[in-house]
Amino acid sequence: MIKTDVIIIGGGATGCGIARDLALRGIPHCLIEKGDFAAGATGACHGLLHSGGRYAVSDQVAAKECYDENMIMRRIGEKCVEPTGGLFVRLPGDSKIFRERFLRSCEEIGIPTEILSSTKALELVPNLNPDIEEAIKVPDCSIDPFRLCMLNMRTSELKGGLSFTRHKVTEIVQSHGRCIGVKALDAATGDEKEIHGNIIVNASGAWTNLIAKLAGCEVPLTLSKGSLVITNHRLTDMVINRLRPSSDGDIIVPNEAVCLAGTTSLAVEDPDKITIQPAEVDTIIGEAGRMIPHFNNTRVIRAFSGVRPLLKSQKLDSREISRGFQIIDHQNGMYSIVGGKLTTFRLMAEKMVDTIMNAFNLKRACETAEKPLDGQEELSGYPLSKRLADMKDIVCECELVTRKHVERIIAQTGTRHVGDISHRTRLGMGPCQGGFCTFRALGVMHDMNILTAEQSVQSLREFLQRRFRGIRYALWGDQLREEQLVEYIYLGILAMEKNK
Amino acid sequence: MSVIEYDVIVIGAGVAGLTAGSWLSGQGLKVALVTTGEPTACLSTGCIDVCAQNEDPLQGIAHLPAEHPFHLVSNATIHQALNDFQQIMTDMGMSYTGGLGKNRRILSAIGTFKTTCLTPSTMQTSPQNENEKIHIITFTGLKDFYPGYIISRFPNASFSIYNAGVPTTMGIAANFEDDTFLEAFILWLEKQNIREDKIAFPAVLGLESAMSVKERIEHRLERPIFEIPTIPPSMPGRRLFNGLKDHFRRKGGVIYWGWPVAGVEKTGRQIEAVIAESRGRPNSLNARAFILATGSFVGGGLWAKRDTIMEKVFNLPVFVPGGQEVWFDQDYFSVNHGIGETGIAVDSSFRPKGCPWDNIFVCGAILAHTEALKNGCGHGFAIATAQAAAQCCLEHIR
Repeated sequence: MIKTDVIIIGGGATGCGIARDLALRGIPHCLIEKGDFAAGATGACHGLLHSGGRYAVSDQVAAKECYDENMIMRRIGEKCVEPTGGLFVRLPGDSKIFRERFLRSCEEIGIPTEILSSTKALELVPNLNPDIEEAIKVPDCSIDPFRLCMLNMRTSELKGGLSFTRHKVTEIVQSHGRCIGVKALDAATGDEKEIHGNIIVNASGAWTNLIAKLAGCEVPLTLSKGSLVITNHRLTDMVINRLRPSSDGDIIVPNEAVCLAGTTSLAVEDPDKITIQPAEVDTIIGEAGRMIPHFNNTRVIRAFSGVRPLLKSQKLDSREISRGFQIIDHQNGMYSIVGGKLTTFRLMAEKMVDTIMNAFNLKRACETAEKPLDGQEELSGYPLSKRLADMKDIVCECELVTRKHVERIIAQTGTRHVGDISHRTRLGMGPCQGGFCTFRALGVMHDMNILTAEQSVQSLREFLQRRFRGIRYALWGDQLREEQLVEYIYLGILAMEKNK
Repeated sequence: MSVIEYDVIVIGAGVAGLTAGSWLSGQGLKVALVTTGEPTACLSTGCIDVCAQNEDPLQGIAHLPAEHPFHLVSNATIHQALNDFQQIMTDMGMSYTGGLGKNRRILSAIGTFKTTCLTPSTMQTSPQNENEKIHIITFTGLKDFYPGYIISRFPNASFSIYNAGVPTTMGIAANFEDDTFLEAFILWLEKQNIREDKIAFPAVLGLESAMSVKERIEHRLERPIFEIPTIPPSMPGRRLFNGLKDHFRRKGGVIYWGWPVAGVEKTGRQIEAVIAESRGRPNSLNARAFILATGSFVGGGLWAKRDTIMEKVFNLPVFVPGGQEVWFDQDYFSVNHGIGETGIAVDSSFRPKGCPWDNIFVCGAILAHTEALKNGCGHGFAIATAQAAAQCCLEHIR
């Protein structure tokens, strides 16, 4: 049995942020995640650090939180946040009244804005639709959400915090009506771990209610699915927003070498059963194409969905539900933290840990807003200069990942999942979406004696199946061509068995 | 614009195009072939898959769905086409093993068995079950071959690593063309004290000389060796392409290499010429008949837009099983992806259905209802339909 003070369930941005905050305040903790870090909504978002502009009209509180956190993240994450800046573009026909309200709200909140003529905006982003009426510049930024989680966990690790990924919580251990620990199943070995602590923080996002139920509690949530598409090219260096009330497909975010566009908003019941509708992809491409016309003929490499855990509300349209967050004290040693946004993860963690400190009458102020994120040098992206330094032994040509790099990740994490390597190196994230390099990454694992024959084929199957779910709705043009080749490689050349 | 006259223009330099071109040249016709570049054959295993649905490929064909274009080819033509193919490849110094009587199995690079009909002779002794005693040779830094995949399934297998100085299949194959390299390699191999019955190699044993490299190693090591096909770029695939291409030229065929077709000239029910571009300049290639062998999506014969599928050269009507939602099943490993059926539907003389012109004949992977992966109808299907379409083309001309 493992003993700690605080058990965190969920390795998304919120859970990882809580781990960092606890570490900086010297509280022993243990984080449990059923997949890899950022496996849920965190890893399935734009990677946009909002300036707050998006919510300025609809929710001033959330907008102010976003703006303040955006400024904090620029400071503490100088080397991993990309200060792209953002534009809110107004297309012909978009409401002028909304524009006025937007500017007024931004001013009230304190979000700096700059009105640009279409000529000026096109100088900044040449791919913009030349027909735009005008653009309003705001301080948006972008960040790789997976890297954000890893950076937070780095501090936790350095201070002796524990974390277990690929461990699924199966039971909340209770004694005299209080939650005293959890039992978690190790997906790789099938072993059960029992971890005891004084406080349990349920930060499991869309799965919050499922975890709460294990302790006999209820957290009413509205689950809202949002879908995104990724293009093969970075069509803009700035975040592009549509100057209108929040709607489908109104944000385009540059991230590393690609662009992400989305989202949609559809209510769902089960976070484990979400599928993308072809119509969503059509909508996103259509709307993004109105802001950046190239979107219509750029290669889309993947579509994916995440589930936003929103506070239950009477409002029918999930877009109208507040993007604010809430901490629920279940009065039994367990807290649930729900709602919020990627942008405000640090603030959520701060409030959560403040609550814990108060409960224990401990006094140590939060330091997460002042201290720079640990390990930024190493984890800050993976610039081309670094990748080109060692061109020999490249296993992933699309993203220039070397064998050495893959071996290092396997040695560090002991992972058997190609996905874990992808998250940490970008292996398989380029146009072929792992078509060539997955065979190689698993081969390296073989060479390192990490996998048996059954495990590798199983891993390959799961990978191809998961990969296909992502690219299934982006298959036309060159991407379809590439997919047919990859299918031939695995089912033809390598003779992987088809379903009987 | 330069104007050149031929009897037949073949579009596409894959297995189907080269087979059709060679056959027509063999009939005394003046044939030219236009291609944008290397065909998908270069990415393939080099094996000739006829139909993998049954141990007996002809039985397999008999049980294919009624609309499958294989039914348009008589068994006699299938026999003839594959015999011709084997003869061609033997003449070109790259013999093939196997026959239409029974499918064969070859070892894949992940340790599974692939069903095919004819294999390059360098794969002739590929093991037939996991208990065979094999020793695998791999090369330092070679990223497209991992013996571990095979070893973990073959209890009696082991491996050694040779430093060939280069880490790519293409680079190692080029080294094997060099006599000094080969001799040094054999000396090293002899010192490995290999006890297993057979020696396995990733398919890198030379480009033109693979057969003689194989024979020389076998002679010196006194036991059979065999190649395992790798992921692209594939040496056996390239050898196959080179063999067919050189044969076509030997027969008097002309190849316009890197000439994308940019337009078509037509009168009434006849295509008069294709306009092919060379360095941006148009050239009119006139002919009495045209053979379309541009392949499916990977080959570039078909192109998918968001909701429609187009044939790229003549804009022929394409059979599509339905909207985008049926192109792909939810399950990756499903055998029922609708996209596999997409292509050009033809009548019994390989003329496209619903086509306004009478002198186009279609063969190979671009044909509708092929479902190449599901049925295991690969190069063998291309060879058979190419010969059949070429016969129809010849009848038309005469």
